[in-house]
Amino acid sequence: MIQQKIPGKPVTVTINGKKYRANEGEILLSVAIREKIEIPHLCFEASLDPYGACRLCMVEVVRKGKREMATSCTLRAADGLEVLTDTPEIEKHRSILFELYLAEAPKSDVIRDMAAHYGVTRTRFLKRIEQGDPLGNKCVLCGLCVRACSEIMGAGAINFINRGPYTVVNTPYYAPSRDCFGCGACVRVCPTNAIEMEDVGADRVMKSWSDTRVPLSQCECCGRYYAPRELSASVLARLDTPLKEEIARLCPECRGKQLAQNEILAGRGGRATHG
Amino acid sequence: MRIVSAADLEKVSRSGLRKIRPEKPRIAVGLATCGIAVGGMRVYDRIREIIGEQNPDIELARVGCIGYCREEPLVNITIPGKPLVILHRVTPGDAEKIVRAVEKGEVPVEKALCRIPSWDHITGYTQEYGAGFDGIPRYGDVPFFSHQKKVILRNSGLINPEQIDEYIAIGGYAAALKALSGMAPEAIIGEVEKSGLRGRGGAGFPTGLKWRIARNAEGDRKFVICNADEGDPGAYMNRNEMESDPHMVLEGMLIGAYAIGASEGLIYIRAEYPLAIRRLETAIGQAREYGLLGKDIFGTGFSFDIGIATGAGAFVCGESTALVASIEGRTGRPHPRPPRLTDPGGGLFGCPTDLNNVESWCNIPVIISKGSEWYAGIGAKGNSGTKVFSLVGKVDRVGLVEVPLGTSLNTIVFTIGNGGAGNKKVKAVQTGGPSGGCIPARLFDTPVDYESLNRVGSIMGSGGIVVMDEDTDMVDIARYFINFAASESCGKCVPCREGLKHTLLILNKILAKKATKRDLEILTDLTETIVATSLCGLGQTAPNPVLTTLAYFRDEYDALVNP
Ligand SMILES: Cc1cc2nc3c(=O)[nH]c(=O)nc-3n(C[C@H](O)[C@H](O)[C@H](O)COP(=O)(O)O)c2cc1C
Ligand code: SF4
Ligand code: FES
Repeated sequence: MIQQKIPGKPVTVTINGKKYRANEGEILLSVAIREKIEIPHLCFEASLDPYGACRLCMVEVVRKGKREMATSCTLRAADGLEVLTDTPEIEKHRSILFELYLAEAPKSDVIRDMAAHYGVTRTRFLKRIEQGDPLGNKCVLCGLCVRACSEIMGAGAINFINRGPYTVVNTPYYAPSRDCFGCGACVRVCPTNAIEMEDVGADRVMKSWSDTRVPLSQCECCGRYYAPRELSASVLARLDTPLKEEIARLCPECRGKQLAQNEILAGRGGRATHG
Repeated sequence: MRIVSAADLEKVSRSGLRKIRPEKPRIAVGLATCGIAVGGMRVYDRIREIIGEQNPDIELARVGCIGYCREEPLVNITIPGKPLVILHRVTPGDAEKIVRAVEKGEVPVEKALCRIPSWDHITGYTQEYGAGFDGIPRYGDVPFFSHQKKVILRNSGLINPEQIDEYIAIGGYAAALKALSGMAPEAIIGEVEKSGLRGRGGAGFPTGLKWRIARNAEGDRKFVICNADEGDPGAYMNRNEMESDPHMVLEGMLIGAYAIGASEGLIYIRAEYPLAIRRLETAIGQAREYGLLGKDIFGTGFSFDIGIATGAGAFVCGESTALVASIEGRTGRPHPRPPRLTDPGGGLFGCPTDLNNVESWCNIPVIISKGSEWYAGIGAKGNSGTKVFSLVGKVDRVGLVEVPLGTSLNTIVFTIGNGGAGNKKVKAVQTGGPSGGCIPARLFDTPVDYESLNRVGSIMGSGGIVVMDEDTDMVDIARYFINFAASESCGKCVPCREGLKHTLLILNKILAKKATKRDLEILTDLTETIVATSLCGLGQTAPNPVLTTLAYFRDEYDALVNP
């Protein structure tokens, strides 16, 4: 129940000695991303509540001559805020965190490249390799998929299971989910490309999520399967557009073709449809 | 009956006094969980049986625990006009003898631990029991008690926790009456601030300041919560406080709620404390009957009630944001602060919320009744008041110890605890629960206050003190606590979830004599990062046992590793 602060008045923040404009209350990591200042991060997504789990985005806040570490994804811009992103202290802890990530998700290219970018090419910790891991030994438990599924989609099909070092993400009791829309938001937000999803025949199969199968709509025109059926139905129920009928029947490609055809017809004085 | 005035309180008080100090002899058995665990209930049942058969003119009652766990089961005898006598290590076999003696106005002297001629209940009432039984040592001469100062445990073991009248008899709810009908909320907060009380849940945050922030927070609906999650292995202060004197918790919360402007209160208590839950429920019911909870308390127009929320047994749910998530029915995982609970949107159901530890609440009635100046006079500068510690492990006298803050570890472990059990040499103590540090015996002149403990690498925590002797393997101790922390980690952030796991793996490797010097370096680097980068207090403090044993008992590590 975290309230997103409404962007406030313009303020000036200092990052690595340089001044930048920001809105009061804006998340510092967002400011850095906008200004192309590199801060590594894995669990941040602007449209979701601040979470602070990956700990990679830590910066040092300079306050009254003292320095204090804080995660930039939970830090809010305020006038005079001053942070440093690459102090020896940060670099030291960041390296250890990368080593932990390399051990946790040894099969992830993204993690490997990211760590290498920060000079960490090997880990001193025991690598966790689990046969048959539904997430291919690539998951870093950043929670983005879980949060997108519940906060954005309102589905709550997946969640954390167990706690501590045994934590994993999956559907409850590893049973195919009845709440999953097959929207694929989880796949898109996953920073390490760990989640597998594939359209097989008339179904979308969420391979990582206990092989949850979601039926797809079939295009009446070309016969191709395109969007998850129930998801389109529920989205359509909320839409108010004359295009509704076309969306329900046709895949995006055929819909485009039909639209163009209509336009041509309209030009000749025929039927015209505008959204 | 509804209590609305001092006169009403006085009336109930008189009826309560007749129970505490009846006109006939009273036998009271210590029946907190600790007493029950060593057979207190069997003693109680046997005495009841005998009284039932022979019908002597004797009252039988249940009380909480006075804290001397090693000597339990404890039984109190009150003979009119005589000192209260505490019997120790009582067995069902002693019951007959006890009843026989009490019938004749005597006590079985050979079972007597000490006598209490008069007792200061702190909240405005001194109980004069009487004179006599000179052959039995006085309470103040028993080494376990003589260096203690009972402010929080002011009634524990002496009153029946299931009888509100007994609590009122020793001055209970008078502080609430004084506060609600005679003090402005601001004035109460001012008193708590001046008292210097700091949160007893571990971090030592000034209670008055927290109340002020909660009072000033915007919002029509506010909550006060009592944190009774007490999950540290070896810590049971809060359990005893609730089991032995539940009304002091309720009274503290009532005063706090009035000062903050909250009309709803919750006690978040772990499900593993069934007796405490039952006694709190009883206490809440009785307080409602007297109108001390509910609508228009004392006729002041102020309304407040308290509910109980039980925790499902995760240590991390004691952390403030995880606690709130757990009450709201979400997974108990901490979130970054701010927002703090007192911030708009940050507390329970998004409402500004004040969270205090059980023991913090227990101090409130005393501060209001005795005044902030009296309270601030106890303890050390910046660390006023007393603190209850559970003194456990390999110490001779195990029990709950209440001492002024600033008392040295020497006093606690040696003077009060009488050093190692079985004449073994004490090597170290661990303070502050699983995430506290191990302090070596050579640093036992360290005063037990928030700052001094931090300086030696440990923490106050909630007040567990675990004693270790010459036979204790310190590396193994570090492993024990890391294992606890790793399995209690909520798994949200990587340094704690992954870091503690690898810390444990390395410690296992060291104990299996398979590690090298390089592993010790990795251990140091890793634990420093866990401290610096973890999201919540669990991860931030969990490495303390490793860091302190590495600092103070490095030789034990060196002996195990290969070059
Ligand atoms: C992992 C963890 C466990 C905690 N467990 C408890 C607990 O059992 N009881 C408690 O009062 N505080 C506990 N705390 C501290 C609370 O977060 C909070 O600071 C405290 O309840 C505030 O009360 P106080 O100001 O009266 O001390 C815990 C903190 C952490 C990080
Ligand atoms: S430090 Fe540990 S307990 Fe706290 S949020 Fe991180 S993983 Fe959870
Ligand atoms: S992005 Fe800040 S902790 Fe993950």
